[in-house]
Amino acid sequence: MSDEELLRIEGLCTRFFTENGQVNAVENLDLTIDEGEVMGIVGESGSGKSVTALSLIDLVESPGRITDGRIWFRAPDIADELIESGADDEVTDGDFVDLRKLSEEQRRSLRGSRFSTIFQDPMSSFNPSITVGEQIAEAVEVQRRARANPRSLDAKAQRYGLGDYVLSTVLPSKKYVTGASRDRAVELLELVGIPDPVERADEYPHEYSGGMLQRAMIAQALAGEPEVLVADEPTTALDVTIQAQILDLLSKLQAETGMTILLITHNLGVIARMCDRVGVMYAGEIVERGTLEDVFDHPVHPYTRGLLGSVPDLEGAGGRLQPIPGNVPSLLDHEMPDRCYFADRCPKAMDECLEHPPAFDVEGSEYHTTKCYLATTEYTEEKALPDGYFDEAGRAADVGEEPSETETGIGTGTDSETETETEADSVQSDGGEPR
Amino acid sequence: MISDRIRRSVRSELHSSRLAQVGLALVVVIVLMATLAPFIVPHHPEAQQVGTGDTEDRTNLPPIGFSTEHIQTTPDGQTEIVREGSLEHPMGTNTRGQDVFSRFVYGARVSLLVGLLGAGIATVLGVPYGLAAGYFGGRTDDALMRGADVMLAFPSLVLAIALVGVFRDSGFHTTGLPDPFVYAARHDILGWVIPRSDHVASMPSSVTFPVTVTLVVALVNWVWFARVARGEAISIRQQEYVKAAKSIGASHLTILRQHVLPNSLTPIIVLATIQVAAIILLESALSYLGFSGTTLTWGQDIARGQSDQRSQWWIATMPGLGIVFAVIGVNLIGDWLRDALDPSIEGEGGV
Repeated sequence: MSDEELLRIEGLCTRFFTENGQVNAVENLDLTIDEGEVMGIVGESGSGKSVTALSLIDLVESPGRITDGRIWFRAPDIADELIESGADDEVTDGDFVDLRKLSEEQRRSLRGSRFSTIFQDPMSSFNPSITVGEQIAEAVEVQRRARANPRSLDAKAQRYGLGDYVLSTVLPSKKYVTGASRDRAVELLELVGIPDPVERADEYPHEYSGGMLQRAMIAQALAGEPEVLVADEPTTALDVTIQAQILDLLSKLQAETGMTILLITHNLGVIARMCDRVGVMYAGEIVERGTLEDVFDHPVHPYTRGLLGSVPDLEGAGGRLQPIPGNVPSLLDHEMPDRCYFADRCPKAMDECLEHPPAFDVEGSEYHTTKCYLATTEYTEEKALPDGYFDEAGRAADVGEEPSETETGIGTGTDSETETETEADSVQSDGGEPR
Repeated sequence: MISDRIRRSVRSELHSSRLAQVGLALVVVIVLMATLAPFIVPHHPEAQQVGTGDTEDRTNLPPIGFSTEHIQTTPDGQTEIVREGSLEHPMGTNTRGQDVFSRFVYGARVSLLVGLLGAGIATVLGVPYGLAAGYFGGRTDDALMRGADVMLAFPSLVLAIALVGVFRDSGFHTTGLPDPFVYAARHDILGWVIPRSDHVASMPSSVTFPVTVTLVVALVNWVWFARVARGEAISIRQQEYVKAAKSIGASHLTILRQHVLPNSLTPIIVLATIQVAAIILLESALSYLGFSGTTLTWGQDIARGQSDQRSQWWIATMPGLGIVFAVIGVNLIGDWLRDALDPSIEGEGGV
């Protein structure tokens, strides 16, 4: 693992413009990811984890849009090519390229070859009418065409025109999926541990089990030998034993290929098992980040403490779980107060919390920061906000307005998180032991 | 693209459904009839046999099994003439002495060609249009589908007549399609292979094919394909596998071709079948009204026989039956495919 930065996200804002108003799904998010590390993002449902992932690979769907921020990605070859073609400092910064400044075509050529994604639900992530092998071969083929001319950023070779389509229907030799890409697909299936990959490649997705499909999806994601693998809740739809297998597979592949993984989950056990560093997301921001030790052993933000408190401790039996009261706040812009978003659920809310906290460096490793005043000020009884303070404030603010709906807009905001879970559900500990 | 499961379910539905068998039989008979027309018909469909003194008058003969009687006034007084249908003219003859059965068989050619080609062109126009509208969504969708709605706002027959009016002077209003069997029969060497080559050689060497009408029926009906394809694309666009395909860097065209089109084929196939029937009806209506430019179609023959409906009912009825059987047959096949491919599709009723 090298300590070189690979990705640097600065002030990322992703908004959804719904009929109920503007939803700030990702709010001013800063994040750096080093090459070869496993970075985890953890948070409740609706905290903006998945949208962060989608923003990174530029797959935010309408009505959502990335409105602000920069995504710097270290790619010396692309940077060179851009400078040669006369790009200015806005687009490149040394070896780094701002992904948001690239054209849509250029971004597409990065998908698969530099960034790949594993989605939450393997069952619905495969086209039911095409065999699994063909779909993996398709990914191989897309990348092969893109690489036919490695210098071409716009990947003209990737275009598959109408003429080719007509030819491929008439002449079997012009078929889109070639023998070579099929062989590679079988190889990839073998790599992810599918037994009898040659036969299984010709089967349809419904003939696979969930765990095998997730393996197949990892194979598909690996087709382009990506530098960054974005795993969006890769184990959420699987049962516990399969979860462990998939996580082992990811660890093994990461060790072999040295790729960088951005792992998004609501499962602290998965984070503890897999990650080098972790960011805790709440209401579209990263409220605390640091190394695994920083966050698990010396948490500062009460939300992180709350998450850790909601995990059942299997060894020290007894003692009730301590769920965080309340729900994820509404992310509608006009309902978002200008204060710490967590203050209304925070057991240690104080006067300072009525202002939005900046990121504070905290003791521990150099990465450890938190957006909480507790990092600098001591909590005392005198400064505490009175009980029910936010209920009254909320009610006062609501006079004349529509009643505030806690969950409005979140459903449209994060497509992949359809389930609305209670706090105890959304933070599970199964799937792995802290290492 | 066609999986074993689909083949199995199409086959089992055919075994269990009597109506599907009837539909398939009707369509097979009509298709064979249209293809092999020169071998089947007893007479040249355009040959007239009006009595001129030298030749026998063979106009207005009744179909086989029927007889007509009418009083003929001659200088010698009145004689009652009884004419019986004969095997020579199984469906009788019309007012010009043309064999109704031969015209019936040849009429199937035009109807089927226009029906199949028209539905094919409509599919080729409408499906990509609708898929693009549904897949890209948003403003693209609005712009494309409002255009399609404009087409829908016109009654189809009125629109068709207007379009025929635009195209009819354009030089490609009709074209002659050569009949390969007749050509082969007239050929020196190939003629030996063709059975009854003398008879086949005497048949018309080409079929008058109404080009404008085919284009017009396609232009009138493509909107239905666009609408169905759009609906499918909208639901498929939201599938995770489309997102997954995007995440591996697939282009829009690849996604449309590889993921959206194959998964929206089922309702399109069903619709295309039903549209063949609708287009056969529309073609008949157009040629009945005289817009087709061909003289050998079912619709045209109905129009001709209409005035004699009281005394020579068979002239208009036989081509009418042809239309009915063709439309019913195609519709039954459409129902069969619908039931076999996707039982959840309802309300895509027949014509």
